[in-house]
Amino acid sequence: MTTTLATRVAALCEAGRLAGPGPFAETVLGHLDVVLPEGPSTVAIADGLSLAYAHPAVTRVGPIGTSGQDAALRVSGTLPRVPYGATSTVLVLTEGPRGPVLFPVDPARATAVPGTNLAGEPRDTLQLHDYAVAADDVRPLTPAELAEAGLRAALARAALIAGAAERCVELTARHTTTRVQFGRPLSHFQAVKQEEARLIEESALVRAAVDAAARELSPVGVAAAKAQASASVAEIARIAHQLHGAIGFTQLSELRFATTRLWSWRDEDGDESHWTALLGRAALAADDVWALLAV
Amino acid sequence: MTETNDTRKLRGEVRDFLAEERARGTVLGRPDSWLTGWDPDFSRRLAGRGWVGMALPPRYGGGGRGFAARVVVIEELLAAGAPVSAHWVADRQAGPSILAHGTEEQRQRFLPAIAAGRCFFSIGMSEQEAGSDLANVRTRAERVPGGWRLTGTKKWTGGAHVNDYAIVLARTGEHEDRHQGLSQFIVDLRAPGVRTEPIHLLTGEHTFNWFHLDGVEVPDDMLLGQEGDGWKQVTGELAFERSGPERYLSTFPLLVSLTRELRRGAATPDQQARLGALLARISAIRQLSLGVADALDAGRPADVRAALVKDLGTRLEGDLVHEVRRILPRTADTGATPGSYPHHLAYALLHSPGYTLRGGTNEILRGIITRGLERQS
Ligand SMILES: Cc1cc2nc3c(=O)[nH]c(=O)nc-3n(C[C@H](O)[C@H](O)[C@H](O)COP(=O)(O)OP(=O)(O)OC[C@H]3O[C@@H](n4cnc5c(N)ncnc54)[C@H](O)[C@@H]3O)c2cc1C
Repeated sequence: MTTTLATRVAALCEAGRLAGPGPFAETVLGHLDVVLPEGPSTVAIADGLSLAYAHPAVTRVGPIGTSGQDAALRVSGTLPRVPYGATSTVLVLTEGPRGPVLFPVDPARATAVPGTNLAGEPRDTLQLHDYAVAADDVRPLTPAELAEAGLRAALARAALIAGAAERCVELTARHTTTRVQFGRPLSHFQAVKQEEARLIEESALVRAAVDAAARELSPVGVAAAKAQASASVAEIARIAHQLHGAIGFTQLSELRFATTRLWSWRDEDGDESHWTALLGRAALAADDVWALLAV
Repeated sequence: MTETNDTRKLRGEVRDFLAEERARGTVLGRPDSWLTGWDPDFSRRLAGRGWVGMALPPRYGGGGRGFAARVVVIEELLAAGAPVSAHWVADRQAGPSILAHGTEEQRQRFLPAIAAGRCFFSIGMSEQEAGSDLANVRTRAERVPGGWRLTGTKKWTGGAHVNDYAIVLARTGEHEDRHQGLSQFIVDLRAPGVRTEPIHLLTGEHTFNWFHLDGVEVPDDMLLGQEGDGWKQVTGELAFERSGPERYLSTFPLLVSLTRELRRGAATPDQQARLGALLARISAIRQLSLGVADALDAGRPADVRAALVKDLGTRLEGDLVHEVRRILPRTADTGATPGSYPHHLAYALLHSPGYTLRGGTNEILRGIITRGLERQS
């Protein structure tokens, strides 16, 4: 199980490097024995939806084992900025009336407002108006399963960030060794070397945190990884752009594919404030702060 | 600079003007509006108030008011995110440069038009192989009867597709010292042989161009300054280019947007303190910048101080964006309602690569600062 997670996380790092989506849904749902639907699918871990049983008065025993109703749902509310939400089956994980549930949403039956993030990746908002979910489509989850999905989503996003950060290092190293000014490659100049070293450091930091979190999934590990990944984005993108000069600011360079993703991904699946607050709370609740890190 | 009754009055007038323009919908409070806010009609109305070419002498249609007054106007426009990019280079650079180095005929021809907001300029300095290493320009100017023939390609030329003229730095002679043999020319952007090709920003916006000069004939009287003095003239311009309010205010409109947003609810003590920390830094950098304006007004050298202002100020422009996001996290979104906080946040962020590059990169500026230190000791 953990090896599978580590493998998927490594694949996501590679996807981040190549500016592709990667096995995101598979990673988020890897702990659940769900079969992903045919065709493209995406995940939305939602709060703020309103869910009600569609048949509260049915007298047979429903699939979730509660008497007096079946599991069919009526769902209303907004799923904001779902990755590829208008063109994929959206696997929604959320709190239901009797505990967490997972169910698919077909965007064709919702109102989809297309949008994008700063990299142009689709982030579509879906409005559900009394959306009917058949009983067979509702999969009950334990609170632990829902919580783990949230951790996996953050870890997956952090892995994408780690990959894009590595791409920034690669492109910058290539640029500074090939671009010549004052008769020398940029990499010859001390000021450039110093900045490039910081870029490499910051990227290594993110990758180390992500790899560690993937080895042994835990709230503290994931919180540390996503918080650090998000927090490092500003510095990584800043240095990569600075060392590229004007070309990186334009469509003449590939750098933007990495940096615009970094600027968006740091906010997605919990920004650094979200995850550092969780870490801070964990530290305050622990008897021994050091033991929180060195488990 | 100390505020006087005159500067206060001027500030008030600009603010009234901006209020009118906001009502017209021309001033949208967008970050980095001096790069991409191209609105020639706005420029003309501004000129109508006497606020373009303010520092030029009245006999050339200018306001004769000195740099300090110009700074007041510029500060107000940038803080408001007004669309000033059409006349920006003409006002800041081309005007003072033509005044300093131009012939009487050039002054009479260009300065009144600049001050009227009817003549817009581009800067044709950088090339593929001449970025930080500007002395490496390859564009050649050859003597032909009655003038010069210019051949080469400029890169990153802002506004060359919409402006009227460019000041082009070209090589007029070969020397062992690459800083010699360079000259500046005023090139008509509609002349035969001029071709511009867009280079899109990562946002898709079009401001940069390849600016091809395919044997463009430039008459003798469009040589700016002395043949071979190009380097001296260019580096002289840079003190003006480096120290102005646009070196720390490019993202100020985002701060305005943030405070508007925070006022809707109750800001936490943490938000208040972080906002205050940004203002403290901006305020200190502003004082440094105003000091440079005073020095320029008094004719004192200010190149090192200008470099220092630009390094501090442009780093702040970028840092501000990330700090504002921390103060009020919202998804930066170019698809959000124009003028909204998420929209401003997106553009301030997506333009952040430019702040510490344009007008000489911060690494190069730091070299100037430390060399200044060596000169002193
Ligand atoms: C928004 C914007 C607007 C612009 N508008 C114009 C315009 O209108 N007209 C025009 O002519 N140009 C314009 N430029 C170009 C600008 O002047 C150049 O981008 C700038 O001079 C840097 O050159 P470069 O981009 O080629 O970077 P490079 O010179 O290739 O530099 C790349 C990196 O290497 C570093 N570096 C280079 N040499 C050294 C060194 N010796 N020591 C230490 N570090 C070094 C730089 O600091 C930078 O980090 C604009 C640029 C931007 C970003």
